[in-house]
Amino acid sequence: MLSELLQGTDSGGLLVIQDTCRYSGRDLLRSFISAALSRGDVVHVLGFDVDEEELKDGLKTPDSQALHIHSAYADPLGWNDHSAFTVNNFNLEELTNLVKQTSDLKPATLVIDSLSWVLRHVAPPAVCRILHQLRKGGAVRTVIALLHADLHQRGTVGSLSHLASSLITVAPGVRANEAVAKITKHLKSGKVIQDEEIFSVNEDLTVIVHSKHPEHKQNDAEEEQMDPTANLTFNLRLSDSEAEAKNKLTLPFVFSKEKSETFSRCFFFKHCKTFQFYLKCIKCKNNCFVLQENRSTSSRYGFWADSL
Amino acid sequence: MFTELNSILNASPDSITPGELIVVSDRQSDASFLVHHFLSFYLRARCKVCFLGLVQSFCHYSAVSQRLGLSLTQAKERGQLVFLEGLKDSLSILIPQERNAESQAMDFLQDPAAGLRSLYEFVQSSVTGSGSSEDWGPPVLLVDDLSVLLSLGVSAGAVLDFSHYCRATICSQLQGNMVMLVRCSGEEEEEDGDEGSERLLKGLTHQCTLTLHVQGLPTGFCKDIHGQVEVCRRRRRGDLQHNQNKLFQYKVHDKGASFFARGTSSAVL
Amino acid sequence: MAAPVRSMDKTSAESLSSNNTSFQKKTKSKLISIPGTRPSVQNGQLLVSTGVTSLDYLLGGGLAVGTVLLIGEDRYDSYSRMILKYFLAEGVVCRHELFVAAAQDNPDDILQELPAPILDDVAIPKAVEQPRLPCEPRDSLEAMNIAWRYQNLPKVQSFLASSSRFGHYYDVSKTMEPEIRLASKSRNILRVGLHSLGSALWGDDLSCHDNPKHRHALTTFLYGLRALMRSSLSVAVVTLPSHLIQDRALMGSITRLCDNAIALESFKGSERETNPLYKDYHGLLQVLQVPHLNCLASQLPDHKDLAFKLKRKQFSIERLHLPPDLSETVSRVSRGELAGSPVSACGSGAPGTKHLDF
Repeated sequence: MLSELLQGTDSGGLLVIQDTCRYSGRDLLRSFISAALSRGDVVHVLGFDVDEEELKDGLKTPDSQALHIHSAYADPLGWNDHSAFTVNNFNLEELTNLVKQTSDLKPATLVIDSLSWVLRHVAPPAVCRILHQLRKGGAVRTVIALLHADLHQRGTVGSLSHLASSLITVAPGVRANEAVAKITKHLKSGKVIQDEEIFSVNEDLTVIVHSKHPEHKQNDAEEEQMDPTANLTFNLRLSDSEAEAKNKLTLPFVFSKEKSETFSRCFFFKHCKTFQFYLKCIKCKNNCFVLQENRSTSSRYGFWADSL
Repeated sequence: MFTELNSILNASPDSITPGELIVVSDRQSDASFLVHHFLSFYLRARCKVCFLGLVQSFCHYSAVSQRLGLSLTQAKERGQLVFLEGLKDSLSILIPQERNAESQAMDFLQDPAAGLRSLYEFVQSSVTGSGSSEDWGPPVLLVDDLSVLLSLGVSAGAVLDFSHYCRATICSQLQGNMVMLVRCSGEEEEEDGDEGSERLLKGLTHQCTLTLHVQGLPTGFCKDIHGQVEVCRRRRRGDLQHNQNKLFQYKVHDKGASFFARGTSSAVL
Repeated sequence: MAAPVRSMDKTSAESLSSNNTSFQKKTKSKLISIPGTRPSVQNGQLLVSTGVTSLDYLLGGGLAVGTVLLIGEDRYDSYSRMILKYFLAEGVVCRHELFVAAAQDNPDDILQELPAPILDDVAIPKAVEQPRLPCEPRDSLEAMNIAWRYQNLPKVQSFLASSSRFGHYYDVSKTMEPEIRLASKSRNILRVGLHSLGSALWGDDLSCHDNPKHRHALTTFLYGLRALMRSSLSVAVVTLPSHLIQDRALMGSITRLCDNAIALESFKGSERETNPLYKDYHGLLQVLQVPHLNCLASQLPDHKDLAFKLKRKQFSIERLHLPPDLSETVSRVSRGELAGSPVSACGSGAPGTKHLDF
């Protein structure tokens, strides 16, 4: 369905590309510009987010007569006083004039990069109204807009997607360079078509659709219900007698009184000579010999000792 | 300048990537050590640096730079560094009788709703102005930290406008670099309305080419590992986007920081 | 609402005009000349004591001059007020200037309640000896069931204190003599104490609304306060009813605008009061933030679980740990009841609530 939308076979409308900061929808937006230009459409771009060079980068015909970029990137609010187009010009009249004065009689495609920028300075209801009326005016056939969904309140995103005749939500895919597009399309008849596709954008801005329906992880639900304690080869619970026996055990390495007495009498060096590595014996108090391993000659630890 | 971070980011002071916008962010952690890294990095790269020090005094930055082997005072005298000491300048506005019309950079404090045009004009004049005899490299803007502007009553949208203008001037027009620190407090999943540092961070992430996100360890406090840094390179012009995220753990020392792959801290090996 | 002990305006104007920022490295002779201060071991920062020795230890030796300490109040503001009073009392003893502001009651009332200093130095070893926990090394240690490889581990000192003495000790059961308070002071460090900032009585709506309208009024003030502190020889302690502020993002930015931040949580009125684990303490203390001034790394406390207690005369902060289980049988007898908790924590999918032995 993504390729159908790119070919622009339907009769125009408002197409919204929603992205988040995890994956930028700008590549896809530029693919739409590229596709419209190759169809011979007149394309007007309102550029707020990135500069003209970046928008044109990769287009087959960057100097095409049909492409008009109205860049507000360098001075979107008129702080530097040298911008022809600012965000204040984002109203129905001026946008219609902007499109009409350059284009031929043919209705044009208007690309907005991005609506998020506009929404920071123009109230959401006004933006919705302008987008709606632009198409009715006849000068614009299709509006393609990029919207950073994570920058706005849910209601704002909701109203704009409600207005859109086609909505593409992009998200990063599993593999690098791949992305997932969820497409919702309202037909005039009232029918709604939904689809999910994996795509990637090439350097020449052509879009490759990898698969129609990405495989879902079906195992998730099953795994959750697995009982980890089932089919164990050992007991998790002790019987009373077993528990009693366990409680009677003295823990190893506990320095009890009896043991300390044995310690004071014993020597630790019986198997010294069988070690591959050199061990040093140091005499310490209580007549107890403690073996100390010479670390410089051995790479591993571990020795055993028997009491005499 | 942390050499380990340079090799992670594939950067060196000898060759600066033009047009880079780096967003440094943290969440329940402190990423300001990265600001010191970038400050010394760009000073070593002989860039013309404009530093907006909004949260600490000049003495603090100067003392840390001294430990990293750089003198900020000298850089200022040579005209390489333009330093805005937000704390000092704000006093003349917050306590009106001491008003002296030195710089208009902090004028937004009087009416935070009006936006940050005055601050942008300060940045613009300091990166384009040629107040020195020496010829410095591409301009660099560093901000520590951007989210304090929100605390001073500026809206997130106005801060994003400011960063947009800085980006258009420094990254696009003058082919320089920008580093901005944003500090968040809440959980990531929290739906805390749209105002505030979350929105600012997301807006900046849409603009930037590289993000460095600092977090505490998910497993809790540790004395030998101070946290983890997520390095995420966003698309640059010319190459198509491939989201590579890399995760490193770090430890800040007296005179630098060390970065290592997860679980390979010398404290646990 | 503010009670400057001496003329505040003059002091701040003087210290401002002298352009004397507190972060410059000072010569040794000058450091010694200011009573009640000492240089930090780590970064040469000039420190003053908070009055609570164990708190000084937690904050890396003391409060750096030019910084702000934020205290998140406990529910009934009894312990946070106590620390504020300690802070002011230390200022009186060291002959620092004081500036106290409070909305809830007259600042003079706070000044009148300052704890009396124990100026006799003989009392100090006694104070260290006092907080003896049952778990501290005793003669009966040999009888403890402890794996012998652990016997060489250093003993945990729950009482927090540095080796050298800094600050004074106070007797909270007595109040300070008015004569001490009124003694003449030389111009040196200004201690600013702001009580219950952000409460409704200051006219802020921070604690009243979930989404306050004037959310940046307090943060702007704190920014200005930091700016003032940095450009003068002063140090501030601010208490704030953080439990009333619903907006966590706001609380985060308030914390970041102060240099040091601790939060108190008293057991009064919470279910923790009855928990046997906490029977020796009056509440928990959290170190939220320590500054890193003039250096990259901040001095993190080596221990995060801290508790405070108020004995008859003294407020102190200690490491929180479980009292040792000295009887050999207790753990095994009660095993059955206790087993429920670890099982529910790890074996989420396990059917039945029967106890597991492993």
